[in-house]
Parts: sequence; C-alpha cells; structure tokens
Amino acid sequence: MADPAEHRPAEEEEEAAAAGEDEDTGAQVAPIVKLEEVAVTTGEEEEDVLLDMKAKLYRFDKEGNQWKERGTGTVKLLKHKETSKVRLVMRQAKTLKICANHLVVATTKMQEHAGSDKSCVWHALDFADGELKEELFAIRFGSVENCKKFKDTVEEIAEQQGKNEEKESEEASSAAELVEKLTVTEATQEETTEKGEAPAADDKDAKA
Amino acid sequence: MALPNQGTVDYPSFKLVIVGDGGTGKTTFVKRHLTGEFEKKYEPTIGVEVHPLDFTTNCGKIRFYCWDTAGQEKFGGLRDGYYIHGQCAIIMFDVTSRLTYKNVPTWHRDLCRVCENIPIVLCGNKVDVKNRQVKAKQVTFHRKKNLQYYEISAKSNYNFEKPFLYLARKLAGDPNLHFVEAVALKPPEVTIDMAMQQQHEAELAAAAAQPLPDDDDDLIE
Repeated sequence: MADPAEHRPAEEEEEAAAAGEDEDTGAQVAPIVKLEEVAVTTGEEEEDVLLDMKAKLYRFDKEGNQWKERGTGTVKLLKHKETSKVRLVMRQAKTLKICANHLVVATTKMQEHAGSDKSCVWHALDFADGELKEELFAIRFGSVENCKKFKDTVEEIAEQQGKNEEKESEEASSAAELVEKLTVTEATQEETTEKGEAPAADDKDAKA
Repeated sequence: MALPNQGTVDYPSFKLVIVGDGGTGKTTFVKRHLTGEFEKKYEPTIGVEVHPLDFTTNCGKIRFYCWDTAGQEKFGGLRDGYYIHGQCAIIMFDVTSRLTYKNVPTWHRDLCRVCENIPIVLCGNKVDVKNRQVKAKQVTFHRKKNLQYYEISAKSNYNFEKPFLYLARKLAGDPNLHFVEAVALKPPEVTIDMAMQQQHEAELAAAAAQPLPDDDDDLIE
C-alpha cells in the first residue's frame, strides 16, 4: 500500500519537485531549548498484534448529528500477553498521535454502515485523550475485504471475551461457595470449642 | 510560559503565531491537528483563539500554543499584542487565491516587527484544489526572507505535519528530531449494564444511517 500522504496528482508532484519544497531554506535561528533524546515507549510492548490495517476513522458528533473525521492512519487490534484482554488502538499517520484506544469487550458490537460496505460502526468507551469518553465510531477501509476482516476479527474477540468473562464469573462463584463452606466449618468448630470442656483446645482439633 | 486560560505543562512549550489572510485555512489547519476533523464551513475567527497542540518526539513531548489569529482586518483588533513573545510562526496563504499570496509580505513585516529572528514557515494551503492560481514555482518570497516553504492541504493531510516538525527542529536546534508514537495508555475497565447497552445500540442505529463526510479513499489506499 502506498504512503497515504504521497497520493496526489502528478502535475503537482512535478511542481513540488521544482519548488524543492523539502530543501531547508530557513534562516539560521538560535535554538531556544536543549532537548535530550529519550527512550521511546509505545505502551504496546506487552501486546501481540492481531490485526494491523490502514483506515480512516470518524466519530459521531451528537450535537450536530453528523460524522466528523477523527484520523487517518493505522488501526491495530492488540492482545495483552498476560491478561488476554484485547484493545483497539488507532494512530494518525505521520504525527503518530492516538485517535482511538479502547478495550474490545463482550458487548462490543460491529454494525454495518448504511452508505458504505467498506465501513462499519460501533460504540466504545474510549481513552484516546487519557479520559474515558463515550464515542460512536465509524471506520472506513480501502476495500470491502479489509472491512470484513476487521469486523469478523472484532466479533470473534468480543465472543471470546464473553467466554472469558463467564469463566471468570464461574470461578468467582465457585470461590464464593468455597468461602461459604469454610465459614460454616469454622462456625461448627467454634461451637465445638465453646462446648468443649477445655477452652484451650487441642491444636489438632482446631485444625481438623 | 504562562498564558491566559491555559494550564502550564511540565514539558517544553512554545508560542506559535499563525497569521495570513482570512479564509486561507488557519483555523481548519489547527482543528485538523486538534481533533482530526476537517471543517468545510467558513466561520471567520474573531480576535484570536489559543489552542494547545501536543506532539511526541524522540526527545519527549512538546507543546505548541497555537495563536490562531483573525485574518480578516475587521475582526483583527490589537494585532501586535498577539505577536508579543511569539517564539515561532506560520504564515498561511491560499494557492487558489493570488491576493492571499500577494499579502504575505505584509504579514511577514508585521510579524517581524514584533518577533525578531524566530523560525517561520510559509504554507501554501489547499494544494488539493485542481485550479490553483499560485503555482509552486511562482512562490519565491520565502527565498528572499529565508523562510521555510511547504505546500500543504488541510483537506488531504498532504504535508500537514511538516510545519510543526520544521519548527520543532529549529526551536531545539536538532535536525534529527522526529515524531514518535505517543504512549497508548492502558484503558481502564468498565462494566456496561443492559440498559446502557440498549441505549448505545439505538444511538448507533441512528448514527449508522447518517452519511460519512466524503467518499474519496485517497488517504486509505
């Protein structure tokens, strides 16, 4: 796939080359800060990439009842190596800023967009700006196939997350039952101790 | 530097003044960087609007406080006041309007009267438009004044990051400075109840019926 920003009419391409637009004609100005190189962290280090595609993202402006562009770049589905949680992260091309960052959960549902078979829409609690915001997103891909692949992958993940949650809640409830049983046993023991003649019960009995 | 109504940050920040004739796309360009949206509707800026714009570089985060000024004379007001303590600037013109290029020297002169020796980028906006009136080779002002020139399109995102990248490099005196991935923080987990879920689905169905802004796939393919 070609670099999206490089796409433009050939005529302009020639003119741009003639203008030598990348050549630094800037004045010699004194820098006003000294910046040290820092280690770059993407925040994605603990995750495996399940999907990585170019797309254009929109967010729904409820007040204006219209879709607005959010960014053009790369959308990724990332699975955490330990927790198995999956999130969707999209970055703007060139500036690499984050335009979407949210978990794919059991309730995440992809819907088709009425006007385009290369697009789909969904709801998310998004964390792109570092605070949770309710958003309705629409995403458009370069092809129908890519859109389908994205939609299918997200739906698969949502289903899997649902299963994981069920399993977790099953485990949680069986753990709760266990705690209950233990409590009952302790109570019985207490009764026994109270009834027992010697207050300082035998260690073996207490542990039984 | 403390600015009115703007919180200070613990990373380097710079005052960026954006000037140029009315309707050349200064506000649209800033908004494009702020939210990703492309606003077609023209609403003249009154006075000045200050927007913080953050970028993540290999030398850490930096912030430009973008002073998006009124291009139209009648909405201008105290212009020198906007320029004071400007540390870098963008002069914008519209390649589909000769007059906006003709006025570039005036903007440059006004700017330089207050801000001496700051890095300045000249931007020829709207290069996506087929019938441009100012051809690339007709743009020569930057050579005389040692400005950097970029042809840009706020609509197609062509070169849209270049002005900021250039200014950041000059301000830091580091020609190798570049943008890197912003840290994607771990989103907190939230449980969604059935009632909320149903409301979302209803909203989504309504939104799905609204058309997307444009149908050119230029930026994706």
